[in-house]
Amino acid sequence: MTPDEAPEVKVPPGSAFIERTAPAVRKRFSLLRLTAIWEAFLVAIGSLRTNKLRTALTLMGIVVGVSAVISVVTIIKGLDQTVAQTFSSQGSTVFTISKQPRVITSREDFIKFSKRRDVTREDAEVVFRMCSSCYQAGIAANKGEIVKHLDQKSDNVLIRGITPTNMFDIDAVTIDSGRTWSENEGESAREICVVGADISENLFQGAAPDRIVGQQVHIAGRPFLIIGVLQPLGKIFGFSRDNLIYIPYSTYQKVFGGRSSLVVFVKTRSAAQLEETEDQVRTIMRNRRGKSFGDPDDGFTLETQDVFLDLYGKATSNIYLVTIGVAAISLVVGGIVVMNIMLVSVTERTKEIGIRKAVGARQRDILTQFLIEAITVTALGGAIGVLTGFGLAYVLALAMGFPLLISAASAVLGVGVSSIVGVVSGLWPAWRASKLDPIEALRSE
Amino acid sequence: MSDVTLVSPPAPAAIPAAEPVAAHDSNSLISMRGIWKTYQMGSEEVHALHGVSFDIPKGEYIAIIGPSGSGKSTLMNLIGCLDTPSQGEYWLNAKNVSEMDDDELARIRNQEVGFVFQTFNLLARATALHNVELPLIYGGIGSSKRHEMAKQALASVDLADRMTHRPNELSGGQRQRVAIARALVNHPSILLADEPTGALDSHTSMEIMDLFERLHGEGNTIIVVTHEHDIAARAHRVISIRDGLIEKDEKIR
Repeated sequence: MTPDEAPEVKVPPGSAFIERTAPAVRKRFSLLRLTAIWEAFLVAIGSLRTNKLRTALTLMGIVVGVSAVISVVTIIKGLDQTVAQTFSSQGSTVFTISKQPRVITSREDFIKFSKRRDVTREDAEVVFRMCSSCYQAGIAANKGEIVKHLDQKSDNVLIRGITPTNMFDIDAVTIDSGRTWSENEGESAREICVVGADISENLFQGAAPDRIVGQQVHIAGRPFLIIGVLQPLGKIFGFSRDNLIYIPYSTYQKVFGGRSSLVVFVKTRSAAQLEETEDQVRTIMRNRRGKSFGDPDDGFTLETQDVFLDLYGKATSNIYLVTIGVAAISLVVGGIVVMNIMLVSVTERTKEIGIRKAVGARQRDILTQFLIEAITVTALGGAIGVLTGFGLAYVLALAMGFPLLISAASAVLGVGVSSIVGVVSGLWPAWRASKLDPIEALRSE
Repeated sequence: MSDVTLVSPPAPAAIPAAEPVAAHDSNSLISMRGIWKTYQMGSEEVHALHGVSFDIPKGEYIAIIGPSGSGKSTLMNLIGCLDTPSQGEYWLNAKNVSEMDDDELARIRNQEVGFVFQTFNLLARATALHNVELPLIYGGIGSSKRHEMAKQALASVDLADRMTHRPNELSGGQRQRVAIARALVNHPSILLADEPTGALDSHTSMEIMDLFERLHGEGNTIIVVTHEHDIAARAHRVISIRDGLIEKDEKIR
């Protein structure tokens, strides 16, 4: 050991040896990437299985978030479809002529519409006689009434007075058992009726439709003969659409009086003819109301179901966004739970990290391991969340009576988003783990 | 000479300027030259090692002994590439370890060093086999070959029948043998044991020391860091550390 030998220090001895082995070493370490990810996955699964409580808590955070979002989205989709189906059950070939729109948005409009003349049966007859592109037309008037059978009573049954019997087609209802009335029967104002499926349920202890035909019900105290039963339409928002009774319009007038304004229904042969038919009807009606060309107000309102759907869409889209946003917050909270538990996990496993580093784990190996653990938990939580979300939506859909629309896209999105939450919330704890000093880590208990 | 100081951070006042240090011995497996390790304790600098130099040839069985606070743990961390010196050069198997970054050090630990710790440091929830496989995982060795190598290593420490046991199902001696199998599985240049019998009873301690002797006989280079003289006495050469300096370096066999 003399100072004279010092210049040799910077020359790596056996450098040929290094050059010979370096590529081999590099090759072994490039293989590491794939193996390490798979290993990290196995390690993650192992550590998740051994720490059941921790895993359950982490999962819960994500499951709650994802299932909230999934169920909200699913329910909203079901709701939308139900609404769309319900309001367009008459199809896009039907429009109505009425005194005023179904939805009035201002007091001024209300006053303006109130001053209009009532739509009468005469209007309907003239329109149908003169309108060449009208396929079917009819009038309808509604009233809620108490209906009785023996000691059974049902409140607030929708009584729908219609004429002619075309209105059954326009309303898109079909006879399950029995028959509808003939036009003669209808015009002679006989006390006969066609009942919805709920009437059997509510007044006849759920008797089969063919057993009810021929029975009697009392509507507003008058006896009516049941001549037909309709096929069920189902529920919307928990409200049955089958709790109704059709009676002839002339009978309706006889029982309830006929002073209120009518709604005239017009059906065209196809959706393509709708606009043309509306124009024809508008011209006929404006003539009847004596409206000049320059008068901006028709004096009546033509409406299709689409108007209602548009309004529904406008009114609900913001509510939906807010609802989904609120549900998404729970996903963020889930992410925070994951980060929290991952940080605890890193602290708990400092020793393990030290051991791994001592035997050759690099920073990125530790980072990969903890990230994959976070992603595994959150993806699993996402998958469970998607299932429970659909389950929740199923229960709610069943309770509220609308279809369950399960989409693969929202399932993929649920798992995908929760995995991203895993990356985001796992990154900081994983980074901390990877930066641990091996000596300190080994010393910890 | 000035080479050492040129590559080092500005020498603290307590370190004497450029003490003459010889070049490392290229035939040695380990060559330490003028190793300083300085820790910052608040505003104070604490020197754990004061310019330590020594060589360890391949195949030697060496004990590093010293009381607590002597700097032997610091020295062990440096030998094991868990840490780098503040100043000085450390050549391990013809590689200048003192200038390596964290990832390169991890690779050296993986390829060149096999650790045996006082408290075994096994993964508590993993089987013996998986524990032994751990260095091979980070060495990027495929699973079938890994299994094979780990089984061989466990068989070489007479634990072929305990491969699927977890550490809490094994005795202290068995755990330490698993740790030794893990240390050897990658065929490292050195087997570095830190108080390997510190947590064992005297009978099991003797078994472990017998195992070290056998492994030495098979050509392994073994470094045991201890404060127990009877453990150190099993080695062929003893380096005594006190106050960060080599007090004594003697062949005893």
